[in-house]
Amino acid sequence: MAKPTPSQTVGPFFARELLWKDGGTVLFAGRGERITLTGCVFDGVGAPIFDALFETWQADPAGTFPSGDDGARPYGYGRVSTDRDGRYAIETMMPGPFKGPGGETYAPQISVSIFARGLLKALRTRVFLAPLDAIKDDPLARAIGDTTRLRTLIAARDPRDPKIYRWDVRLRGAGEAVFIEL
Amino acid sequence: MAETPVADIHPPYLYPDYNSTRLRAPSQPLVRVAPSPLETAGPAFPKQFVKDSEADLTTWGRSAPLGEKMVLVGRVLDEGGRPVRRSLVEVWQANASGKYPHPVDDHDAPLDPNFLGKGQLLTDDEGRYRLVTVKPGAYPWQNHAFGWRPAHIHFSLFGNAYAQRLITQMFFPGDPLLAIDPIFQSVPEAGRSLLIAVLDLEHGIEGVALGYRWDMVLRGPRATPMGV
Ligand SMILES: [Fe+2]
Repeated sequence: MAKPTPSQTVGPFFARELLWKDGGTVLFAGRGERITLTGCVFDGVGAPIFDALFETWQADPAGTFPSGDDGARPYGYGRVSTDRDGRYAIETMMPGPFKGPGGETYAPQISVSIFARGLLKALRTRVFLAPLDAIKDDPLARAIGDTTRLRTLIAARDPRDPKIYRWDVRLRGAGEAVFIEL
Repeated sequence: MAETPVADIHPPYLYPDYNSTRLRAPSQPLVRVAPSPLETAGPAFPKQFVKDSEADLTTWGRSAPLGEKMVLVGRVLDEGGRPVRRSLVEVWQANASGKYPHPVDDHDAPLDPNFLGKGQLLTDDEGRYRLVTVKPGAYPWQNHAFGWRPAHIHFSLFGNAYAQRLITQMFFPGDPLLAIDPIFQSVPEAGRSLLIAVLDLEHGIEGVALGYRWDMVLRGPRATPMGV
């Protein structure tokens, strides 16, 4: 087995190099319920992380994994940087649930990678777009077990605008989000 | 098995000599889970997403950029040695004087109007890539007194599966700054040489450009963490 290439930080100077025009609008082949996943990324003392690269990858509303492109960009992938307030926003569609190889059901979720100065490796996780009682059988929810920790991965539907799902991410300390090793 | 576990190849999240890790590294252990079928799939980049010219960073301006011209060749493979085909590789780097055309780069060094320092390509059916650029300059940073980053090229790889996504940096052989760079030194010793290109003159351009070679290895898309 060849040894994998070690990870290194994205550093602070990626904004002009990695960001895509309209990278925060995720494309799909078909139609579906448009939603926005938005929130802020905070560090260990609660300060906003203003220089993170925030990427998303998800199933389409039918739970199918996007395999095509619109001629310019791949379907299903979002890429933005956080702003001065640590805020990101991904305009996308509500992903459908999907099955794993053992028949297990994955709840509606978006796979997330966060890269930033000070992160020597990507932080990876999955954010759920369904309430706690609807995700209990999800493989990651089972692996986490503890409800308090699991809640760090649940995006809250905005009561005033049901198209908006809010998810703040704390990288360290109180309220620290669960990050995963795939 | 005598193999080095992956945990001994990648840097830790918390590496106090690299100051920014102190407030950004998670304090809880990662939760190990098998990649979901979503994560063993990945985005498909259309061929037209990249232009052939984007693999040559030296032709962006009206004339040649300043600096030592170089050709970098290599392959992207998975841990089993299989080529990672037609996958997106993005690169970015400082110019020959160690300056990025970026609003937050306050290094007092000249911008080069003929160098943007940004490129991308798709690997071929053998996982090969070829990049033409100039050697980036070292640059100072605020992490510690007299800190300078060794010359490096940033790489972003998608592989063929979301689980293979990797961002890393490539360094140059024989650079004395490697010894004092906490970002490079954060990599366990067993992994450090994997980030350093080798001189490969025959892949250069006679009388024009130095040749270097650097292969990258991504995890297998279906690999599960050790012990799971
Ligand atoms: Fe850099």
